[in-house]
Amino acid sequence: MESRVKTEMGVAAAALDYDAELMLRVKDGDGVSFGLLLEKHRVSVIHFLYRLVQEAAVAEELAQEVFLRVYRSRNSYEPTAKFTTWLFRIATHLGLNWLRDGKRDRGLERLDDTSPDLPVRQICDRRVSVEQRLVYDVKLEEVRQAVAALPEKQRAAVLMHKYEEMEYAQIAKVLGCSESAVKSLLFRAYETLRARLAHMGRT
Amino acid sequence: MNCPMQHRNSETLMAYAAGELDRETGAAIERHLSACPACRSKVAGQVALWNALDIWEAPPVSPDFDRRLYRRIREQVRLSWWERLARPFRPMPLRQALPLGATACLLVIASFLIQQTDGLAPVQPRSEVVRADQVERTLDDLELLRQFGPANQAETSRADTM
Repeated sequence: MESRVKTEMGVAAAALDYDAELMLRVKDGDGVSFGLLLEKHRVSVIHFLYRLVQEAAVAEELAQEVFLRVYRSRNSYEPTAKFTTWLFRIATHLGLNWLRDGKRDRGLERLDDTSPDLPVRQICDRRVSVEQRLVYDVKLEEVRQAVAALPEKQRAAVLMHKYEEMEYAQIAKVLGCSESAVKSLLFRAYETLRARLAHMGRT
Repeated sequence: MNCPMQHRNSETLMAYAAGELDRETGAAIERHLSACPACRSKVAGQVALWNALDIWEAPPVSPDFDRRLYRRIREQVRLSWWERLARPFRPMPLRQALPLGATACLLVIASFLIQQTDGLAPVQPRSEVVRADQVERTLDDLELLRQFGPANQAETSRADTM
């Protein structure tokens, strides 16, 4: 009976997504499948957290915690939703908690930190001039500050929609709200960002 | 400039700017944009925003990310009771087993020695148990020697006079 239920769940998961199937294999003790999931989602989770907390080292630490929680929860995992929905729900929860706890103020290296002992950030392309680099840095800083100034749910929604290319329905599941609420969040967020960054489009 | 479609379709315009619409819907929006400066301006603003957000690239992931994660998994994941029980009996490489075995032996010997010393009664100074009859007999013997030894008697008397 139990094995039949398990098989049915497996089939449902496979229909749902391949990641959920991999996670069910992890549940059965397959470490290789965990490695595949890590390989597939490592970068997107770290980048999402980086844009949320805006500190590279902290983003990696939080991403480690995300995957650690995934591994710890393997025995109780049920493929009730898309694997990435679950993954980003954990990531969003950890990232927003980190911001709420005010750890940002005593964080590690900040992007806007201009202390002389930090390595100078450079655009990889060596052909760009100093002036171009300065313009780029100023624009980047404006974008970062505009996104950071958004209310936390709007910020998370924009990052998932713009950079992770998630659909409204999935963002809604991650944030635990309705699809129409997500559309409204994104609409307001983009309105705010357009107003703050309007001058950049004209340059 | 107001467009009667603008509020109703602001999400559609946003999706159009993000390139999320299917070909048919996209073509319909383009037809509308060609005749509606308000929506055209809105889409242009959204596209400009999209381009502005694109300059924000995330840094590359540390090369040792996986190694650190797997180390944390090994260290932090709670083992089930069965795994805890079975863990000491897992096959172990000789290089690891030897120092562990030696340490275990030392601990066993040390605990044995500690138990031994704890089991012994504290060393008490041996008290001479002298029975009364022994004392009496000794005193009698001394008396006899004194009585039957004239030399001893003379010496004793001489010592007394001195």
